[in-house]
Amino acid sequence: MGVMRRSIIVSALLALVVAACGGGSSDKSQPADGGSNSELPTCPLDALATAAKPVQITYWHAMTRVNEEQLKKLTDKFNASQSDVHVTISGVPSYTDNLTRFRAGLGTGNLPDLMQSEETSLQTMLDSRAILPAQSCLTADHATTDDFVKRIAAYYTVKGALWAMPFNDSNPILYYDKALFQRAGLDPDKPPATLDEVKAAAQQIVQKRIADSGIALKTDTVAFEHWLAKSGHTIVDNDNGRTARATKVTFDDATGEQLFAWIKDMTTSKLALSTAAGGVDHFLAVANGRAAMTIDSSAALGTIDSVLGSGQFKAVKLGVGPMPGPDSPDGGVLVGGAANFIVNKSSPAEQAAAYEFAKYLAEPQVQADWAAATGYVPVRRSSTKLAPLTTVWAQKPGYKVAYDQLLEGPENPATAGPVIGPYGAKGQGVRGAIVDALTRMLTENLAPADAIKDAATKANAAIADYNSRVG
Amino acid sequence: MSADIVATLTPGFAQFLVAIGLLVVGSSVLTVAASFGGGVLARRARMINRYVLLVVLAGIVLFPIYITVVNSFLSPDRIAARPPTLVPPSLDFGVYGKAWNQGHISSYLFNSFVVTFIIVAGQLLTSICAGYAFAYLAFPLKRTIFVVFLATMMVPFEVVFFTNLQTVVSLGKLPAVGQFVGLDTYGALAIPFLAAGFGAFLVRQAFLSLPRDLKDAAELDGYGHWRFMWRVAVPLARPTVAALALFSFFGAWNQYLWPLVASDHYRTVQVGLRQLSRGSLDEINVTFAGTVLAALPLVVLLLVFQKQLVRGLTAGAVKG
Amino acid sequence: MTHRDAVVRRRRFSRKTREALLGYALVLPPLIIFGTFTFYPFVKNIWLGLYKTPLFPGTPRRWAGLTQYREVLTSDLFSNSFWVTIKFVLLTVPAGIVLGLLLAVLAHQRLRGIAIFRTIFSSTVITSVAVASLISLTLLNPQIGLLNYALGRTNALSPLDDPKWALISVAGVTIWQNLGLSFIVMSAGLQAVPDELLEAARVDGAGTWARFRSVTLPLLSPTIFFVVVIGSIHAFQSFGQIDLLTQGGPQDRTNVLVYAIYRTVFIENNDGRAAVLAMALFAITIVLTVFQLRILERRVSYER
Repeated sequence: MGVMRRSIIVSALLALVVAACGGGSSDKSQPADGGSNSELPTCPLDALATAAKPVQITYWHAMTRVNEEQLKKLTDKFNASQSDVHVTISGVPSYTDNLTRFRAGLGTGNLPDLMQSEETSLQTMLDSRAILPAQSCLTADHATTDDFVKRIAAYYTVKGALWAMPFNDSNPILYYDKALFQRAGLDPDKPPATLDEVKAAAQQIVQKRIADSGIALKTDTVAFEHWLAKSGHTIVDNDNGRTARATKVTFDDATGEQLFAWIKDMTTSKLALSTAAGGVDHFLAVANGRAAMTIDSSAALGTIDSVLGSGQFKAVKLGVGPMPGPDSPDGGVLVGGAANFIVNKSSPAEQAAAYEFAKYLAEPQVQADWAAATGYVPVRRSSTKLAPLTTVWAQKPGYKVAYDQLLEGPENPATAGPVIGPYGAKGQGVRGAIVDALTRMLTENLAPADAIKDAATKANAAIADYNSRVG
Repeated sequence: MSADIVATLTPGFAQFLVAIGLLVVGSSVLTVAASFGGGVLARRARMINRYVLLVVLAGIVLFPIYITVVNSFLSPDRIAARPPTLVPPSLDFGVYGKAWNQGHISSYLFNSFVVTFIIVAGQLLTSICAGYAFAYLAFPLKRTIFVVFLATMMVPFEVVFFTNLQTVVSLGKLPAVGQFVGLDTYGALAIPFLAAGFGAFLVRQAFLSLPRDLKDAAELDGYGHWRFMWRVAVPLARPTVAALALFSFFGAWNQYLWPLVASDHYRTVQVGLRQLSRGSLDEINVTFAGTVLAALPLVVLLLVFQKQLVRGLTAGAVKG
Repeated sequence: MTHRDAVVRRRRFSRKTREALLGYALVLPPLIIFGTFTFYPFVKNIWLGLYKTPLFPGTPRRWAGLTQYREVLTSDLFSNSFWVTIKFVLLTVPAGIVLGLLLAVLAHQRLRGIAIFRTIFSSTVITSVAVASLISLTLLNPQIGLLNYALGRTNALSPLDDPKWALISVAGVTIWQNLGLSFIVMSAGLQAVPDELLEAARVDGAGTWARFRSVTLPLLSPTIFFVVVIGSIHAFQSFGQIDLLTQGGPQDRTNVLVYAIYRTVFIENNDGRAAVLAMALFAITIVLTVFQLRILERRVSYER
């Protein structure tokens, strides 16, 4: 009880005073909101030197297929390159599954030493109090984040501290079929960049009966979130949850309404095809020539490429463009993907070992190899000058699109991205609320303004419920 | 590519639909005709009519399974192509190898067999023992204990599964036995199901229906309880025991919720399929092959033990 | 009392004790399992429901008393899941029984090759929930599945993602998956109907339908009753197909109680709330079973 009341007071102080110096928790974990740089826990880097070698650590990841194979290769390389640390990796098919087992592990003690978790889980990971901030280790290691892509480092930075080591980054890009563009009389090398241009292109494609619809849109929230960010608009209050814990969403205004209205207009006029939030239906729609464009993570590019490369879907000529969306000088795309969190429940030597591996995975050369093989965005700027990435990018400019758009636009709370406890997935949290409202708008013919209100009400309730349970 | 439905209906698919339509229309015509005619013609018409109906229904029931098998032999673009392919151009079993190895179906099936075996063996043993005690032995509180056994049937496992998860975790911390029943072990997957109130009830009923003097006769021959149970009672109650075995086999094999939450390392085939269902674009056919492989053990079971299976599945349903 | 008497009595006494000891030894292992995995968690659930669960394990839980029960049982989550579950049961159980009975009646005739049809009609017993779900995921998929294609709905979501159709689709999959079992049980019931009775009815001039209604159906009523009770209990506990097909969505339209419990535990990490939901599930199951035993059993004829 005492600890709880204290952390409530701490939270209140943090909200009022920017340079907070509350702290004072009797346990060794950090206050729930994360602290300022000066009160970060120390990273036991020295423990590695005195420990019996090799220190065995476990890394929980959610990579599949090509990505998993590459990760295995990198891990083997790391294990072979030195004898201090030996990493065993353990994978599940999705980030959600990974987080689920991590949460379960908090109760059972069955935890990894290093944990790959997706960007949306940042606040949850922080609130678990089971994380040693990467910042502590960087400081102890006299390393900086200078070479990291600014927006990626910004994403994982809350109140001045980097919480996780960036690893695999991606963001949504436009996938389109150049062949269909050509037949519709559109320039196949100039994909639409704004929402108006997307609509115009879709109209031309549908009117000329080149495809059933112009664009296949997943009924998830990723595009909506990025469009908000590209408008320079936050998603939650308190500077996207970065100056204090988020308490409500901020998209229930004209901007959000316009975006919803665009989606509704596109869908009802059959210019856009709604496809399932999960799965590959949107890609299949493009592959089968039923839609000319779709939006998805750049992380899928490697797989799509290999499918097309195997000689299937011969009619498709894949083109890749930056994520189309509102073009505001205050905006830019968000960071997606995942980062590696060091677990503070492990022994000091294991924590240090976990940092070593996380550091390795973020090294410029490793990132260059990784990005070249998977299509992920390298998290280090110097990686872009290293082979094999330079070669791949020269051969396949599409792989560079996600990186380039990450450099565009200013660094501000809107582009740093939201930090939300109940970010949620299907049917849950803020994202669940948005998806539900979107679905209602499209299937029950709800007005965009009402749909936005609906989304905000449910999202705020989820945030309130989450915040009330933060211990 | 065109939105026009008629245009997309190519010969293959259209003929398929038309054939079904013709069958149904034809059989209706026959029925009507037969009602006017009489004698041999009517009987013949009725018979054809019955076959038509049976064939159509069989087709509907089997179609989902059929199309899954077909899809497993097609390349992903062929699967996605319209009009759909209803007959595979070639039987390439390579994809089954892929599902078996890379799709981990082999280890999923192995895990399922191990867990199912432990559960069935455990349930049979405990049910026979307890059933015997209730049928042949006198001991204080017998009725109460029997009611407790029956009461377990009132608490669905879904009500307690997440609490049991914590129990399994705690069991894992016990010295010696912990490594066999803790989270992420075969034991954890099996232990909650090693006894079943229903099984004990079923075996008790079977034992009670055996002639009472059997026990006295066996006693005169010097048979103790243990020997009587295994040498006389169980063999005579074999149909019930076999039914129970199949019943618990099905229950154990088809479990989904508990294996999903209780073990990450030992995935049973049902949970493994969940993994496989997340396959990406170029692996759709592997998912289908995996699905077929996952169903195969039960296909074999159905073909070999059809009679016993019916008994097992209807255990308790039909009196007599 | 002679020495001899004493020996006999002692033997008899010890024999009785031994019998009792053996009895206890035989029922003890199941009792331990039941105690650990049925009764203990049941009681623990009641207790768990009295506390607010913190977001993460390891932090102290807070006493909430019956407030949490009231909160959860009056929440939208519960009332939605309750009605979704009821709807799901009503969609799956009657239709499953009628279809199973229909197939059983059709296959219950002396025709050449009828054994093949019996095997086909019982074939879906080979499909587990996961197999059936994966098969139907494909059939219902708007891009590669045949359903939307056959219906000409090229520009549509999967019915699984359509709020109007999601629950119906999941129910359809469930009916199909259980069809084999339903068929087998109904066939077994039909086989127990004595041919003489049907023959007697035929002699009395009863038509096919009349024979079915006045002879077969009453004699089949215990079987149907059994399937209704077991089937609805089973349907109340559905989880796998929801997890694989819809994950409770869209808009919680398929968020049946068991799935809501699962999500509350594993995504929200809220064991306290889940415990209340679980106890509600238990109460509903009990009420349903008692209700069915009372109402339906009266209409069942056990006479043979």
